[in-house]
Amino acid sequence: MHSSPELKTRREFLRTGLLGGSLCWTLPAFLSRTMESLHAQADGSLVQGVTGKDGNILVVLQLAGGNDGLNTVIPVGNDNYIKARPKIAIRDKSALLLDPKIGLHPALTGLYGAFQEGHLAVVQAVGYPNPNRSHFRSTEIWATATDENQSSTTGWIGRYFDNACQGCDATVGIALAGQTPQAFAAAMPKGVLYQGGWSGAGKKRREEASLQLEADGSMMSEDDDGDGPSGGSIGEIAGSGNKGKMSSLDFLERTDMDAKVSQQEIAKAASRAKNLVQYPGSRLGQNFASVARLIAGGMPTRVYYISQGGYDTHVDQAGAHERLLREMGDAVASFLGDLKAQGNLGRVSLMTFSEFGRRLKENASGGTDHGAAAPLFLAGGAVHAGLHGKMPSLAKKDLNDGDVQFNVDFRSVYATVLEKHLGVKSTPILGRSFPILGAYG
Amino acid sequence: MLASLPDSAWDRTKAGQLIQRAAFGGTPQEIDQLAGMKPGEAADFILGPEKPEALTPPPNVLKPGLTEQQRFLRKKLRLLPPKERESKGSELGRAVRAEQDRRLTEIRGWWLDRMAQPAMAAREKLVLFLHGHFATSAEKVRNPIMLFRQNQLFREKAYGRWHDLVLAVAKDPAMLIYLDGSKNRAGAPNENFARELFELFTLGVGNYTEQDIQESARAFAGWTVGWPRKPGEPEDQENTPPEFIDRKNWHDIKSKKIFGKRGSFDGEDVVRIALSQPAAPRWITRKLWRFYTGWFPEEPLQTELAEEWTRLEGRMGLFLRAMWTHPAFYDPQHAEDRVKSPTEWLVGLCRQLGTPLPAPALASNMLAELGQKLLEPPNVKGWDGGITWINTSTLSKRYEYTSWVVSGTRGMQKLAGMDLGRLAIESGLREIPAPMIMDPAAVPVAGTTEISKKDEKLQAARKARTLLALSPAPVEKLVEPGDRQNPDRLLARLSERFLFGLTIPEDIRRKLLEGFPAVSPLTDAAIRKLVLGLTQSPFYQVT
Repeated sequence: MHSSPELKTRREFLRTGLLGGSLCWTLPAFLSRTMESLHAQADGSLVQGVTGKDGNILVVLQLAGGNDGLNTVIPVGNDNYIKARPKIAIRDKSALLLDPKIGLHPALTGLYGAFQEGHLAVVQAVGYPNPNRSHFRSTEIWATATDENQSSTTGWIGRYFDNACQGCDATVGIALAGQTPQAFAAAMPKGVLYQGGWSGAGKKRREEASLQLEADGSMMSEDDDGDGPSGGSIGEIAGSGNKGKMSSLDFLERTDMDAKVSQQEIAKAASRAKNLVQYPGSRLGQNFASVARLIAGGMPTRVYYISQGGYDTHVDQAGAHERLLREMGDAVASFLGDLKAQGNLGRVSLMTFSEFGRRLKENASGGTDHGAAAPLFLAGGAVHAGLHGKMPSLAKKDLNDGDVQFNVDFRSVYATVLEKHLGVKSTPILGRSFPILGAYG
Repeated sequence: MLASLPDSAWDRTKAGQLIQRAAFGGTPQEIDQLAGMKPGEAADFILGPEKPEALTPPPNVLKPGLTEQQRFLRKKLRLLPPKERESKGSELGRAVRAEQDRRLTEIRGWWLDRMAQPAMAAREKLVLFLHGHFATSAEKVRNPIMLFRQNQLFREKAYGRWHDLVLAVAKDPAMLIYLDGSKNRAGAPNENFARELFELFTLGVGNYTEQDIQESARAFAGWTVGWPRKPGEPEDQENTPPEFIDRKNWHDIKSKKIFGKRGSFDGEDVVRIALSQPAAPRWITRKLWRFYTGWFPEEPLQTELAEEWTRLEGRMGLFLRAMWTHPAFYDPQHAEDRVKSPTEWLVGLCRQLGTPLPAPALASNMLAELGQKLLEPPNVKGWDGGITWINTSTLSKRYEYTSWVVSGTRGMQKLAGMDLGRLAIESGLREIPAPMIMDPAAVPVAGTTEISKKDEKLQAARKARTLLALSPAPVEKLVEPGDRQNPDRLLARLSERFLFGLTIPEDIRRKLLEGFPAVSPLTDAAIRKLVLGLTQSPFYQVT
């Protein structure tokens, strides 16, 4: 029995890998590089040394569930829009005007402020050909940046790590989420999870709460700020894993090591800096506060990933969507203000995305069903503020099966961010070249 | 017929793999028992009877939706001026949610307890699969009794025909609410359920068209929920759970075209037609194989599995038996590919240690922190499973909780990451705070209520810390007389229990034993340290 092949594999593993225990054994060879780079930084030079373009940071905000683009960036006074949405259309007077015919949802005062300060770009009608209306498939398409009829085991951010950050340690990507995002999947997996602000368990609680039993009792559940907006059947959508071609055991070994070396560094960086502005108490707000601290604390991280769920508004959309947008806009506004106060606004860009927009026509339950193209936001000190792309036509002849058609391929947005903000060539990452938008510089 | 393992190939390693994968792991004695059987007998033994034994539901789940106090406060609420009514109303809403959370915790504890019982474990493992497959979350459904009934539906129909189960789920009130089927009526179709029925429950992406979804949604129109009422009495939506009703006047009787067939189909027709698609047996067998082995079947195995499913007419119990006796189920290439889910990890660890599960509130919050909040899957796709259970955060937490279970939590000032206040409420150690609704005439005494409330909270949290604390696992049961005098023998004994009898190579063995006193006998603490060495490892997370 002891010579059977599975035992041999297990034994090999044991020899190199049974390190997780309280007993510290030798390091697996493939991880030593990580350790070396950490040791090299142990003198306190963890603060990102690189400057200029190389030092730029991308923050990705996923609006999970399919954000209703038409009620986010509103075609003000458009007859087709108002007729199709007798219950939930945002009326002209309340929209926050970006130009005479286009306005933000009235709850997006936070983003509107950023727009007025010149820190917000709106890319309109973003999507891809043959839109898929499944949450999971469409999320996967956005994560892997493939055509609708293709698949990939790696994500676009993971390919960025593979291409541009070889030899970086795992903290080159940090996700504040319950699961590693599929966009991080890479041939050489990188990226760690951090749940500093809020627990990943989905309950609402501040980090201080669970730490201080003797505090004022703020850990009690009735002090929660209420349940978040209705999640519908779609809360968080993550991906199908991040192990590339590794076996499950290799992946575990690696994660084991990443966890040991990264969590402490992250906690240290987070405690090194303070937030310079007030953030909303929502989970999203606290996650943005954590990212701002990590940036100020000097983490060498290039991509942060945050997710906000609840956008699958099939039923009674108006109130829920308003709460979601307010939570989002307020959190982003605090984040931008904090970065500005830190002096980091110029090197940080925020990009939002959602797997799809929603139908033009509202449904019988006061909600909207899965649609296609939708706008997204780019925010930060370096963006070329204003409207990019065109507001899509809502005339019946221009719709695709009742849905808004896309004008800008989402991979054009990725290409623009990669080339103009992160300063790398986009073709090796996206597989082919996509037009660069004028959203930067 | 699927190939099956010859009796001669059956050994202790495979028996250990089977009990871990098909159930929630077992002790060396249980593995020995299985190893002494033939493969088919072992599979039958683990499966247990076709129907579950009669069961006692968790005590508070069947009670009316609101507590007596909450009903009383609700009445009082109506007397308040509108503005105050709103703020006190939302306070009361929070109290109602807290009561629901408490009952959900009770269901979770009740379910975990069943998983930990050897005779029920395989069925409960399948119920766990079905819960992820037909994912339905308390976050939207809220009502604990509906989720309990759905859970029980899985249990009763688990080993039966797939068709019967899918149809029952399509009529299940929790599902009707979760995927908005309850709002689906002629003229105002809601596609949510029809889409997920095809995409996630029966066929998979690429095996249906948007038109199939739209027309099927119309066929399901009228399958909704309603509240039973006695003649002459109004509906009592607060205190009785909704039930399935087929509302005839919501039906869409017009012709529909579904998967190329035309007719005036209803929901039963859609389920039947969907399950007769060639993609159907492939979809479910693929998911089952992956759930139980950790890897996706490739050709020709995939086709063999689908054919076996069809041959067995979708009878789940028979199919599981066929799968568990298939040689590929024990493929050494994949012996380490299956990552334990948090639930499987916790129940299995406690079973192997012979220690009781943590109290329901603590156990369910631990699982939530590890990414598997039972009755609240993250979305309609359920948990992705496999390596998605593992990331830097969840793996660190697994190690930390491993030490809680093995070494106990007594003496710890706090349970990192745990909200003791919430635990106190969820486990009934503290009353759910009710809004103070006073008579307008009464004069409040300034200050006192706030202070005593804070005090009470703190005491409850301390009480939770004490009463929910875990004791060190009773390691004396894990060792035989003489083991304590012989570290080598002790390590062999423990690795057999936790790592299926693996012989540990010399260099590793030496490192594990490093720092142990040369003078015997080894103490309980030393034994626990060795157990931690074996279980706080990447290796322990896979099967």
